[in-house]
Amino acid sequence: MNKADKTFIAIVAVLSILLYGSLQYVVRATTSNQKIAVVSYRDEEVLRIDMSRNDKYTVQGTLGEVLIEVKDNRIRVEKETSPLHICSIQGWIEYANVPITCLPNHVVIVIINAVNEHGEDTTVQ
Amino acid sequence: MNRKKRVRRMMILTMLLAMSIVFHMLEPSLPLPIPGVKLGLANILGLIALYMFGWREMLSINFGRVLIASLLRGIIFGTGFWLSLSGVALSSLTVIILKKFTPLSAIGLSVASATFHNVGQILAIVVIWSSIMMVYWLPVMIWMSIPTGILTGTLAVAVLKRISKGGSP
Repeated sequence: MNKADKTFIAIVAVLSILLYGSLQYVVRATTSNQKIAVVSYRDEEVLRIDMSRNDKYTVQGTLGEVLIEVKDNRIRVEKETSPLHICSIQGWIEYANVPITCLPNHVVIVIINAVNEHGEDTTVQ
Repeated sequence: MNRKKRVRRMMILTMLLAMSIVFHMLEPSLPLPIPGVKLGLANILGLIALYMFGWREMLSINFGRVLIASLLRGIIFGTGFWLSLSGVALSSLTVIILKKFTPLSAIGLSVASATFHNVGQILAIVVIWSSIMMVYWLPVMIWMSIPTGILTGTLAVAVLKRISKGGSP
């Protein structure tokens, strides 16, 4: 490894930290207290979940059932059938627009803000 | 280039391509602690082709690998194929440019390749699912591409050293 390599690696590391920090700021700033999780299968919405209620839900994915759990305003995929179990390993998400993606099952879960959904924060004059 | 040399070059390239296809197909079954992270072992063969022959040969190894491995797996023109293709396209382009204009060694190029492979894949996901927030996972993927890039780069350097000891191809 030469000096140029080390400099390049340092630049990549710093840029990714900056990107991580700014993305964290954006997702936190754009998440309201009232959240809804939208579950889609093959780009079509199949379920809308109120994030304020702790519960478990099941949707049908391509390889089998995908078990979704909501607890304390967070959501996760608890169980699914897939080769690598990436979406269940991913764990809980709590911020708006950060997706959980079960690629082999074609299931995507994304949290949206309930306030924006009904347009309550905008006034038309 | 005489006939003997041409045949030799073609044979080496074919073997590199075959090995990269094997790595490409076996890699998803390697268990790694972090979901979605791959070592990128197939990338070693592209780097070897780059240093032994040149950028055209690296491109043919990388694109040939994605095409043939996807065909063998039966996922050609599926989502996974487009993700691989965009990753390989962006990483190969980056490697070619960096090799030409910077003093980076194979290790630095390997890190760059891994990083831009992830950028290409995330961009493809953003386009396919029209969801810009997939970018959220990019910093994590980039962080992971540093150790995996160093690993594959070091392996490529080790292989290239042994090849040069054993006589030029």
